[in-house]
Amino acid sequence: MKTWHRFAACIALGLVGGAAFAVHQVRGGLSDGLASSGPWETGKSFGTVDANALTRAKVALSGLLALPAKEAMYFTAKNDSDGRALDGRCNYVVHGGTLDGRWWSITLYEGEGWLVKNAANRWSIPASAVATDAQGRWSFTVSPNAQSGSWLPTGSVDAFDLTLRLYHPAADIIKNPEKAQLPIIDRKGCA
Amino acid sequence: MMRRWLFPIVVGGLVAWGAYQATLLATPYALMQAAMKKIGDRGPENQFAFSPMTTAANQTIVRPSPDLAYAACAFNVSKGPVLVDVQPVPDHYWSVSIFDARTDVAAVRSDRDTKGAPARLALIKQGQTAPAGYEPVRVGYDRGLVLIRILVAPASTFPTIDAIRRKSTCKQV
Repeated sequence: MKTWHRFAACIALGLVGGAAFAVHQVRGGLSDGLASSGPWETGKSFGTVDANALTRAKVALSGLLALPAKEAMYFTAKNDSDGRALDGRCNYVVHGGTLDGRWWSITLYEGEGWLVKNAANRWSIPASAVATDAQGRWSFTVSPNAQSGSWLPTGSVDAFDLTLRLYHPAADIIKNPEKAQLPIIDRKGCA
Repeated sequence: MMRRWLFPIVVGGLVAWGAYQATLLATPYALMQAAMKKIGDRGPENQFAFSPMTTAANQTIVRPSPDLAYAACAFNVSKGPVLVDVQPVPDHYWSVSIFDARTDVAAVRSDRDTKGAPARLALIKQGQTAPAGYEPVRVGYDRGLVLIRILVAPASTFPTIDAIRRKSTCKQV
């Protein structure tokens, strides 16, 4: 093999390998790995000039036009509270208490972040859609089948994630998102 | 044998590092360009396009919120400042955010910031000045996106909110 053949082979492998590794990392999820609370993950630098190149690329792919934390925080869960991947053929109960912000909603996505087609035409549960008890506790069901009460359809997709949006979050959550008391995701069985 | 491969492998490693960095740096620009093209297809540059409520059937931008009414303007300040006037929606969360071509947020103003008053922003680049009465927002790139978000709750309030938001404007001076 001639010298230039060896250089050409290594350069070609470097180009393809470097780009492929970058794509693999960018597709690895919305979180930049800086903060997690239970199954929920978020980043502290979404949408800001402080974001590093990897975080900026991840947000562009999975959460384009995300707002900085002062305005809104985005917590994404790909697993239930026991660490199992969220599966659209399973039933879940999502329950929590008062979230320290002005307004919240939880939206179900598949793939890079697309709403799932479902017969109920329902894709999110906003704070105004759940009943709270005297202690501020609330819950709703995530299921492929219609349920009584607040219900978020999965569309029976193989895998999904949940994104909790918290608008105008309290200063404590912005500063220490890993200490935020976020909803529990309990799996109740699968079809 | 190994000595003949050593230098090519080192060069290949450096090329891999460069390709990795270049891919990361190019991704936001490419995806933002695609988003601006999609929004541009719905209306001219420097003008708001008012979207219906997002459903699984009409989503164009990744990870949309079905609880928010969106209006987007693909801006271009190359020929002069772009003025953004946002009509407030009483008793509803709303915000206007300016994203540059690299996806960074140049500014966000919400009803909390304006205390319910209209937001009046002038998008300018270096060498341009904001007209009187407008808050200057300096952008690092000629092009980008203005995005208005309005919380629609309950859903039945959308027609009222839609009529108000359509009074918002995005226009070049």
